[in-house]
Amino acid sequence: MFFKKSIIALTGLFLCIFLMVHLSANIILLLPKEIARELYNAYSKTLRESPLIQLVAYVLYLSIILHVVYALLITIQNRKAKSKGYAINRYRENSSWTSQNMGLLGVMLLLFIVVHLANFWARVKLGIGEAVGLDVEGRLDIYEVTYGLFQNIYYVLFYSLLMVPLGLHLHHGLKSAFMTLGFYHKKGLRAIAKIALVYASVMTLGFGIIPFVVYFK
Amino acid sequence: MLESKIPEGPLQEKWRNYQLKSQLINPANKKRLKVIVVGSGLAGAGAAATLGEMGYEVLCFCYQDSARRAHSVAAQGGINAAKNYQHDGDSVMRMFYDTLKGGDFRSREANVFRLAELSAPLIDHYVQQGVPFAREYGGVLVNRSFGGVQVQRTFYARGQTGQQLLLAAYSQLYKMKRAKKVRMFPRHEMMDMVIIQGKAKGIIVRDLVSGQLKRFAADAVVLATGGYSRVFRLSTLAIGCNGSAIWKAHKRGAYFAAPSFTQIHPTALPQTSEAQSKLTLMSESLRNDGRIWVPKAKDDPRKANAIPEEERDYYLERRYPSFGNLAPRDIASRAAKERIDAGYGVGRLQNAVYLDFKHAIAHFGLETIQDRYGNLFKMYKKITGVDAYREPMQISPAAHFSMGGLWVDYELMTTIPGLYAIAECNFSDHGANRLGANSLLQASIDGYFILPNTINTYLADALHEDHPSTAHPEFIKVEQEVKAQIKNLLSIKGTKTVDHFHRELGKVMWQSCAMSRNHNGLKKAISEIEHIKAKFWTEVNVTGGDKEMNPELEKALRLADFLELGLLMCTDALQREESCGAHFREEFQTPEGEALRKDEMYSYVSAWEYNAGNFKLHKEPLVFEYAQPTIRSYK
Amino acid sequence: MKVVFKIWRQDSQKHQGGFERYPIEGLTEDMSFLEALDHLNERLVLQNQKTIAYEYDCREGICGQCGIFINGRAHGPHNNITTCQLHMRSFQDGETIVVEPWRATAFPVIKDLVVDRSALDRIIEKGGYISAKTGTAAESNAILIPKDIADKAMDAAACIGCGACVATCKNASAALFTSAKINHLNNLPQGKPEAAQRVLQMTKQMQLENFGNCTFTGACEVECPENISIINIAEMNARRAKAKWLGR
Repeated sequence: MFFKKSIIALTGLFLCIFLMVHLSANIILLLPKEIARELYNAYSKTLRESPLIQLVAYVLYLSIILHVVYALLITIQNRKAKSKGYAINRYRENSSWTSQNMGLLGVMLLLFIVVHLANFWARVKLGIGEAVGLDVEGRLDIYEVTYGLFQNIYYVLFYSLLMVPLGLHLHHGLKSAFMTLGFYHKKGLRAIAKIALVYASVMTLGFGIIPFVVYFK
Repeated sequence: MLESKIPEGPLQEKWRNYQLKSQLINPANKKRLKVIVVGSGLAGAGAAATLGEMGYEVLCFCYQDSARRAHSVAAQGGINAAKNYQHDGDSVMRMFYDTLKGGDFRSREANVFRLAELSAPLIDHYVQQGVPFAREYGGVLVNRSFGGVQVQRTFYARGQTGQQLLLAAYSQLYKMKRAKKVRMFPRHEMMDMVIIQGKAKGIIVRDLVSGQLKRFAADAVVLATGGYSRVFRLSTLAIGCNGSAIWKAHKRGAYFAAPSFTQIHPTALPQTSEAQSKLTLMSESLRNDGRIWVPKAKDDPRKANAIPEEERDYYLERRYPSFGNLAPRDIASRAAKERIDAGYGVGRLQNAVYLDFKHAIAHFGLETIQDRYGNLFKMYKKITGVDAYREPMQISPAAHFSMGGLWVDYELMTTIPGLYAIAECNFSDHGANRLGANSLLQASIDGYFILPNTINTYLADALHEDHPSTAHPEFIKVEQEVKAQIKNLLSIKGTKTVDHFHRELGKVMWQSCAMSRNHNGLKKAISEIEHIKAKFWTEVNVTGGDKEMNPELEKALRLADFLELGLLMCTDALQREESCGAHFREEFQTPEGEALRKDEMYSYVSAWEYNAGNFKLHKEPLVFEYAQPTIRSYK
Repeated sequence: MKVVFKIWRQDSQKHQGGFERYPIEGLTEDMSFLEALDHLNERLVLQNQKTIAYEYDCREGICGQCGIFINGRAHGPHNNITTCQLHMRSFQDGETIVVEPWRATAFPVIKDLVVDRSALDRIIEKGGYISAKTGTAAESNAILIPKDIADKAMDAAACIGCGACVATCKNASAALFTSAKINHLNNLPQGKPEAAQRVLQMTKQMQLENFGNCTFTGACEVECPENISIINIAEMNARRAKAKWLGR
């Protein structure tokens, strides 16, 4: 119980840090097209060639898997603990919808991750699907992959809209993770609640706006 | 006949002398002795845990779903102890005197002194068990004063002292359960006593979930079953509180002492409707800072805050200038009744008086008052919807504590050898009136300190006797009797509910045997109760079966006993032709309306023998060597 | 005032249960919710029917025995009260009120609205005490306890053990209950010697009793009649980690 929850919290926090790095890199996509292409492809190349980043990537994959697997395990345990529900349950009056539906939000995010990995990771790393071209410097033109994807309005909508459940999941998850890990400083928790709100909003808006910007470029 | 077994020696030496002379039992032998404890409140849980620690095999029963629910939980204000932490002149002797005087000199000196003497170590005991008593910033314990005394000797944990003490006792009980020294039987209610060759050897209980009757045998039986003020139906007690265990013991031979001494608490919430099931108590500690008043004009239609100072009658301050709002409970209740009966009552049914915090808030600030009584104000708001920081509370007297109970000697043993009664279900320390914050004290001391010392004397002999067996014909006989009574109740199939009869009984008792009593009223009450009782046994309808959880049957069984107990209470009140403490006979009062005690005739404890329903009085004379009975004046 | 009670009826743990409708008149707004049920039960007796079983004892919000899920909320529509403190003035005239027992695998239904909460007692049994024998105490003021520590312990100690936290929790977690007792004792100097084993054993028992995981929805602190904060659960997690990894 405590071990499983701690794993979910720790992997969740790691993923939160990852998202910050991810978003800060994606800000490049907001720049004018050619500058963005130059910077983005250079950044991608650095990442691919750094052994440290390679290691971190494996931690990331593992984190996602552990986060999902343990969430599944505790959900099964929780269902067993509540084998029968109520005919009427007005839980919205005592808690947020988000906190009651982290599993549902998680499933939506998992769906997103699968599509996202298929769009980028599978093409770049595994070479599945259309081959990735090279830019003028001879680097893999990741920018073009991104640009190409977001010319499709359905992908734009899919990517942007799913950032809403991401934000909700992060908002509850961040504070909950701290409490699960035993952070019980009253004022600190109040600060974390505020930080979680800001953090989740920035992630949703940041990631959510990029596909549109790219689309309209 | 009645041997109180008060030890030799001067007052201060009696308990020590007793302990020195009491018998001891080898630890290896204690394992072979079984003790039944009925009730898991402060006294029951404390006794069961301590007896378990001493090495006895303990069986503990309660009707609630957990020992933590027992009604000790509801005591709000605090617990007294002669620690003299406030350096205000307190001492064991002063506490002894206050308690004796508070009880209007109708209790045993030796018992009361022991109560005061053991109070200080009791606080140490609870602190050790983790009770979060209120503390000063410097870390020392805080005290407050309580009705009937002029020193600050009350320790408290917010307005939830009883809860905190009970949780400590309950946790000790479960500690011993884990150690396999105590077996716990929640949702089991005692139905009857089993007496073999004149000694208490076991009980018959009903499993409230399956309805099954079960027999339990032991070398001694301890009753810790609390008070019986639910006889009035509307009381501050929990709905399940009942007098059945002690009544069954009484019918099997235990004498019942001072049954009519019932405390009416001055600060409960007033009744608002016929359907009401209970009167919620607001802690007496509120009287420390709250001022009680009624309007000077009859039927004043104005809201409380619209009535100016000079048109308010602070009647307790007026009548009892030296104690004022802190007058003892019986006096405060009677004074309220006097004002209400005279037509000055407030509230929708004009059955209440005001308890006002305006001055206290102005003097100490809102924050201090919130810190002291926050949860009580919150509770008041939950129930009434009124914010008592802004307008005064409305309070009213309500049946509360039973000073009376099974007669016990200095060892807390009843007149049945091997049957002990501890805490509220006995008559021992409070005389005709209990002082505030002495109830938790008596319950704890009886359970933790006294019984575990005195029961050895009896068990040392029991060791050499045969251990009782539940196959004994007496067990079978008593179980059959219980079965027959249940069958009888279920077969009446009348047209009225149990609650109907309880309301009827409650009205008669409240009318005639509560705050003030008189000869004619009591005579009439007795015949009315006889009538209700007869009707009950012919017209009640108890639905459901006996082999299932059946709350209706539980209520009916309890009421059947209350109907008989009510008769004894009225008989006792009728016999005692004086006024003392909570027992106020209208014929015996001073010209100013104060109680008129008649020491030359009634300085004894009335102990009633059941005698097949023709109650027979036995007297235990009260001898006062150390405190001379004086007229109780709080003026 | 009249309402329709839609009440869960179930004969015993072994029987199947279901809802029954009970229209009832003659109620007043001053009545407590439980008094309204009492009133209904009297009607049922007069119609020769079995009464509805529900729990209560003190009826002043402190014993913790009452507990019913009313119109989708533990202890009814208000925050931080017990069922016995709920009054009919909180309902509309003519309203249908859905009344269910606490739902949790650890709290099997015994009859109608009565559930078995002995799992909570068993958690206490595993260390919710200070194991000092009667008669061994030292002078109380020999241990100085700063007011803020005493207050904090008292905040947690106020738990009445009603089980509303478990009932309202979507995971039927008993974390709030368990943490309240642990923090009450472990914050006090008297509780320190056994602090580590207390938190380990009580949390272990909590898991054995089939309670679910705490996911910090916060519903429990809203339904808790004593307003016990979920920060207690975070504190318990910290204490448990410390006990597990540092042994203290």
